[in-house]
Amino acid sequence: MTNPYTILGVSQDVDKAEIMKSQMFAMKKKEFPLQVIAVAAKQLLDPAKRLAADFMFPAKIKVKRIQPIQCNLKYKEINTDSLNENAFNSLK
Amino acid sequence: MEIILVLIILGVLGYFTYHPFLPSTKYEKAQNLFNAKDYRQAVNILNEIFEKHLDAPTKLAECKLNLGYQATGKTEKTKYFTEVTALRKKISNSASFAKFDSIEAKALFEISKIQYKEANGNIEKLNKNIRFIDTANQKGSESNFSSLKTKHFNDLADIHFINANEKEKTGKSSDVIDAIQSYKSASDYAKKSNNNFIIYNSTSRILICQLKTNQSVNLVSSSEVKKSDKNFQKELYYRYAIQHIKNKEFSEAEKTISLHLNFQSSNIEELKRILNREKINDAVKKVTEINTSIDKLYNNTLSIEELKSFYDGLDTVSDELGIIDYELSEKIADIKPTLFNRLLIKNIENEEYNEAINVIQKYPEFWKSTELLKNFGICSYGLAAKGLLSERNYKTVISGWLTSVFSDNVILKSLDDTAWDDNYTFSLAEAIGSNHSQHEAIPENVNYDEVSETNISIGATQKELLQQFETIIQKEIQDASLSKLVNDFYDTEKEAIVNIIAQIENDSFFAAPYFAISNGMNNEIISELDKDYHDYSNEDALEAGIPYIKNSKSTVVYQYFYASDLINKLKTAINNENKTAVKRINSKNNKQRIERFDNINNSIEDNIFNTISNKISRDENNKKLIPVMEECIAFLNQNDKLKHQYSNYVSNYCILNVNDETINNYEALLLMKGAYLRSPNNPKIVKNFITLIKFNLMDMLNDQTRKTTEIYSILDWVKSNMSQTYKQNSNELSKARGELLRQLQQAGTDISLFDDSSFSSILSGHSLNSQGLKMKKVMTYLKELGNEQESTNPLDTFTRL
Repeated sequence: MTNPYTILGVSQDVDKAEIMKSQMFAMKKKEFPLQVIAVAAKQLLDPAKRLAADFMFPAKIKVKRIQPIQCNLKYKEINTDSLNENAFNSLK
Repeated sequence: MEIILVLIILGVLGYFTYHPFLPSTKYEKAQNLFNAKDYRQAVNILNEIFEKHLDAPTKLAECKLNLGYQATGKTEKTKYFTEVTALRKKISNSASFAKFDSIEAKALFEISKIQYKEANGNIEKLNKNIRFIDTANQKGSESNFSSLKTKHFNDLADIHFINANEKEKTGKSSDVIDAIQSYKSASDYAKKSNNNFIIYNSTSRILICQLKTNQSVNLVSSSEVKKSDKNFQKELYYRYAIQHIKNKEFSEAEKTISLHLNFQSSNIEELKRILNREKINDAVKKVTEINTSIDKLYNNTLSIEELKSFYDGLDTVSDELGIIDYELSEKIADIKPTLFNRLLIKNIENEEYNEAINVIQKYPEFWKSTELLKNFGICSYGLAAKGLLSERNYKTVISGWLTSVFSDNVILKSLDDTAWDDNYTFSLAEAIGSNHSQHEAIPENVNYDEVSETNISIGATQKELLQQFETIIQKEIQDASLSKLVNDFYDTEKEAIVNIIAQIENDSFFAAPYFAISNGMNNEIISELDKDYHDYSNEDALEAGIPYIKNSKSTVVYQYFYASDLINKLKTAINNENKTAVKRINSKNNKQRIERFDNINNSIEDNIFNTISNKISRDENNKKLIPVMEECIAFLNQNDKLKHQYSNYVSNYCILNVNDETINNYEALLLMKGAYLRSPNNPKIVKNFITLIKFNLMDMLNDQTRKTTEIYSILDWVKSNMSQTYKQNSNELSKARGELLRQLQQAGTDISLFDDSSFSSILSGHSLNSQGLKMKKVMTYLKELGNEQESTNPLDTFTRL
């Protein structure tokens, strides 16, 4: 089932007059069968059914915009020269 | 005669002259000398008879062997033992070899012992002596040779190990490589002499040498290292950790240090410091990568795969950085919700609903977020609408959808995103997700008032959503079996959530059973239902909780389910005609479990009655059902309906089968006894029972049954168990008796003979033959079971007829 907003090619905040207008456009466009367009328009004109169509728009969690991470740590090349490989010589 | 005498005298003289010079005599002398340990004299004699006496060579060898043992100097000893071995070439008689072999082996062993001592740690000499031992005749001295050889191996292991140590100590790379070979040789010889000390230490030293010469080493499965010298282990693991660090295998280095170098040392501290430095460097690198990804995210150049990978890896990065910089770790964890949101919306926009559901499900307690629960519902709807329901996902999808739509809060959340609703208010009065006024806090434009053109029903929206989904699953699933699975499951889940919403008064989270169980919130729902039962004795609440049971055995809902399940088991047993299964259910405990709940207890008889009725309607001539019904009657305290059902079934069964002659009259009587016992005042049952009594008496009279004893036993039982209805209907038997008497009288028989109480029968002096006695007994039972009043006139009954 295609969302009626998509069938009529309108945004979620469309008003009644625009719904009627968009129905005419959709009919001219012939992308969807006439009956489907009529049902879509009827659905958007019925507040309870329109709320059902609105249900299908994903809910966004309120989140803040991510800022680049500030890091106080500094990169420093590792030097293994300081290691005494013979520190635990067991053949003394 | 004279000649003979001369010959005898010559013979005696000859014997005494030559006897001392005979080989056997000489051998005896040599043996005596040997016994007296005078080996040198014995040697002289034995040399004389070396080829003349069979045992001489061996005895000579033995003498020389003993001379060798007695000798003090190494040279002298070797001389004697070599002489023993040299004798082999001189022996011409093969029979002498057998005993000689073992003496020669002893001599050879003594020689190899001397050579071993002479070797004095010289590898070449030891090896040469090993070869000497390997080629020597060892007959009878095998174990001595074997132990001597082991000593050689042990010495060689020690020498090679010491040599390897010396080479390694030089520190030159070529020497260290040579040392590896020497340790390997030491290990090989140690294995031959079971010298574990050298084996384990060689293993450790080889690994140390390999590390010293920058060869790659893997210590994962080296159990021998753990048994080697502790200082060797320390050196080995230290060098191993350094190798890891040089190879940038930092986690391996860390593991090696924590497992094997867990002691205080400035050198170990230095390793740890380097590892910590590496972690910091890694953190800096990761932060740079994260910042690059953030840039790409806001430039819209981050692909969904990269976004997913970025999101999935965030927890690990945050945990790793937490060890170095907690604040940094927190900053990274903080970006997760934004990424989550981006990923989820991208998935939904791309109609990747399965992926979106996976993302949502990974979010801890996602159902507590109305946004996520709504998105779960959208994804569920999307999967169904796209024909992507499968046996694998349909339960998650359907249960998630129902949970989402039945949540009033989710629908209320939708209102937040609408811009067209300024002229409307919304009513929860008909909402399906809660009882009236359950919600404590509702938005300003929402109320519980009556629905009107401007006060829009949220319930209608919910019903519209459900109806749309139902249309999809009813019409769009092509596979018939999947369609049935999906639709049945939908109906069950929907019924369950409707039921709990109707029962629970508090403002709780209502979920469909599969969703609740999968996400661990079923026990919370069951607790609410238990509470309702405790407060109001509401068994409907318990009934509603059954689909939510998983491991909730201590709850009342579970106990209710258990009792309810007993009824189901009983029904199954009836349908399977399984008397044993019914009997097994019939226990005191089970009865108490059922009696605790009125809903179950009050309907149990009807439940069983209907199950049996359905069973009978499918087959009304099934003998197996009779004992099952008897067990069911025994199970219930209130069982009048079942008794009535049983008696009628048995009675019909008997009539059908007696008429068809598939059972005889005795079998029918036996069955009807059960029916009479359970319905003693049911006229139909009683009448049929009486008729069967009559048939059985006639069968006995006409010799048509062999069950006489059994039949009389049943009839005796009847005599003492006559119900009022029986008494009212037993005249059928009296009539039968009267008819018999009439026929006898017509045949000229003195019928007084058949009456026990008749005075004339006593006076007449006539006696009855066996047939007559049988007749008399039948008459007596007809009379007694016919409940006839005693009469002085034997023909009274007949007259009455």
